[in-house]
Amino acid sequence: MTGTEEYAGLLLRADEWRGRAFTGMSVAVLAPGREAAVIVPEVARTAREVKVFQEEPDWLVPWPVPLPGPLRRPAARLHLRLAVKDPWIRRRLTPDGRFNTRRPRVDGRYYAALQQDGCTLISWPIYAFVPEGVRSAEGIEHHVDCVILGAASVHAAPSIPAQREESCA
Amino acid sequence: MSTTFDYDFDAMLQTIKDKQWSLADIDWDAPGAETMTDELRAKMQPFMADLVWIEHVGARGFASLAKKAPTPTIKRIYEYFHAEEQKHANAELALMKRWGMLGEDGKAPEPNINVKLAIKVLDDYGDTLPLTGLATLIPLLECALDGALVKFLLDEVSDPVCHEVFRHINSDEARHITVDFKVLELIGAGPLHKLLIESIALLQPQVVLGLIVVFTPLINKMRDNIVAMGLPEQKLYNAVKRFTTIGSRGDYTSRIPAYHVLRAQAAMVIDRTSPYHRLLADPMVRLTSFIPAKVLGKPQAWVEELTHEPIAS
Ligand SMILES: [Fe+2]
Ligand SMILES: [Fe+2]
Repeated sequence: MTGTEEYAGLLLRADEWRGRAFTGMSVAVLAPGREAAVIVPEVARTAREVKVFQEEPDWLVPWPVPLPGPLRRPAARLHLRLAVKDPWIRRRLTPDGRFNTRRPRVDGRYYAALQQDGCTLISWPIYAFVPEGVRSAEGIEHHVDCVILGAASVHAAPSIPAQREESCA
Repeated sequence: MSTTFDYDFDAMLQTIKDKQWSLADIDWDAPGAETMTDELRAKMQPFMADLVWIEHVGARGFASLAKKAPTPTIKRIYEYFHAEEQKHANAELALMKRWGMLGEDGKAPEPNINVKLAIKVLDDYGDTLPLTGLATLIPLLECALDGALVKFLLDEVSDPVCHEVFRHINSDEARHITVDFKVLELIGAGPLHKLLIESIALLQPQVVLGLIVVFTPLINKMRDNIVAMGLPEQKLYNAVKRFTTIGSRGDYTSRIPAYHVLRAQAAMVIDRTSPYHRLLADPMVRLTSFIPAKVLGKPQAWVEELTHEPIAS
């Protein structure tokens, strides 16, 4: 895995994306659902193109209505169902209830932003950074002007331990 | 989980991450494309189209497996395999492009009706099929793909770029097959009552019907196509034998009823004299050829995700 230092474009970490305009730029957002939900609607307002490399999806509810525990998930599921018509996009936004036990977070803008023109949801794992962008496991290199690395992204960890010895296949 | 079966899936996940490759690593304009003669092109075009779609449908199969994976690590491995199968389809599409097998628009060839049926079933039922069913079906298909189809292609085509691409693909596939069978061991080592419940779930009419209407003709059509093209039946036989051999090497795989059912079906598929063909498979190929694609409705958006372009900007 080549690290973020390989990337030659504008790299914004954690909150550095706030208060910026991305006019004319193509931007990759690397973050889990709960964080992408905060970043993407803001960035999509000005950017020419946003590629959302969403890591683990999370449940979202549109309003801060106090709901008893057992009703939170169904409410989030209903929100997703109503906000996203395309079943393939919806599938990739649905958390795996067995391993993701986080409470739904309040956000009413992410799903709409994802479906606006110029915004694409990509769920392939990213495995390397290159000078022009990122490489993901479906074999494609994605070139972008700016990479936003969410604080909760799997790539935000300081540095990945040195590469293992090539093991024999 | 009470199991005496032990395999380091975390180490495998790390290896998978370390071995990633990209279409951008390949020089698609390197010399060798001229080895694809007009005659060979005409013969291989439908084969490559089928191959691209099998990889792509296989990718969708791994997406469903990810939803059922018994642990987060295995889930992550399946997510990588989902992407890798898509990468294989993309790379094979890029080979088709290199060989002048795609139209002006560079779009993926239209899938045949049997592939369309498989897409429909995966869209509608893929995520609800019990784990043991898909987890057994996929290694059988991978053995066939790896052992027969890909070897056939490499025997027929001498283009060095094709051989380079398939060195990557085969190295991925070796890991797929390893994990496929390790997961079968893990499932087989689980409690018997769970195996029985899952097996009974596999006997639901819509699942059995799905397998008969969709996968029987899909596999038979491919089988006859490639045998007609000159693939020795011995290769198919070896591929299925590999499924049996690796399966029986494990201690627990044989406890999975679905494994025995598929093994028996596979044995009938390769034996053209078996009544299976006369009574079931051949009529199914004929029947499904009358299905108008329109009744299947619009497939989900994943079928449009293929690309032969190494770089997206
Ligand atoms: Fe593959
Ligand atoms: Fe595979």
